[in-house]
Amino acid sequence: MQPSNQPTIYSITESEIDLNDLLAKITLTSTGAAAIFTGMVRGVTSRGDAHQTEYLEYESYIPMAEAKMKQVAEEIRERWPVVEGIAIVQRIGKLYPKTPTVLIACTAAHRDTGVFDAARYGIDRLKEIVPVWKKEVGPDGQEWVEGDYIPKPGE
Amino acid sequence: MNHIKLLFFATIRDRAGTKSMEMDIPADMTILQLKEKLGADYPNLKESMKSVLITINREYAFDEAVVPTSAEIALFPPVSGG
Repeated sequence: MQPSNQPTIYSITESEIDLNDLLAKITLTSTGAAAIFTGMVRGVTSRGDAHQTEYLEYESYIPMAEAKMKQVAEEIRERWPVVEGIAIVQRIGKLYPKTPTVLIACTAAHRDTGVFDAARYGIDRLKEIVPVWKKEVGPDGQEWVEGDYIPKPGE
Repeated sequence: MNHIKLLFFATIRDRAGTKSMEMDIPADMTILQLKEKLGADYPNLKESMKSVLITINREYAFDEAVVPTSAEIALFPPVSGG
């Protein structure tokens, strides 16, 4: 059982991701550190298959996605019991370059508690099991981006 | 018979041409048999059925699972959020 004062926020949203608001909600009086990962739409890709992106169109199986985000938060708490607050937010809809699309934030008392690893785990896990997809639209047409992770039983 | 709801996302939705449908299936049908039926009934989906991810009532499910009564089944490609 996690103490009830440890906030966990998880949501799929069409609204702008408000970092300050989320950070305030996962900061306790005992909190001294937050590790925040946020991903944004990249307009110009040079690594690998170099290309440009006009926008990404995200969709989600929302009720399952939110349940899986809750599961990711529970997995974080099992692995890093020192983590105090967790926020996991995925924005969906039509999103243009430079726009933040996802945010994972974990708070803890101190920075040397594994809180960086916890946030890293959160984004990696989201990209494995949370049902969200994006269609990439660029100068040469549009294409669904497909992941490569095949969930195992119990995931 | 078992009356189920099917949901399609991303590439699978594009190929199915619809977001969702309802279907009657035999009571003891497995996920593997359901994939075979969809591939046969909807030729556009046949190729997708080899690599599709499937969920039963919002949990990942695998070939041997029997589709429960009135299940919500979703079919989609590997996820690409973030």
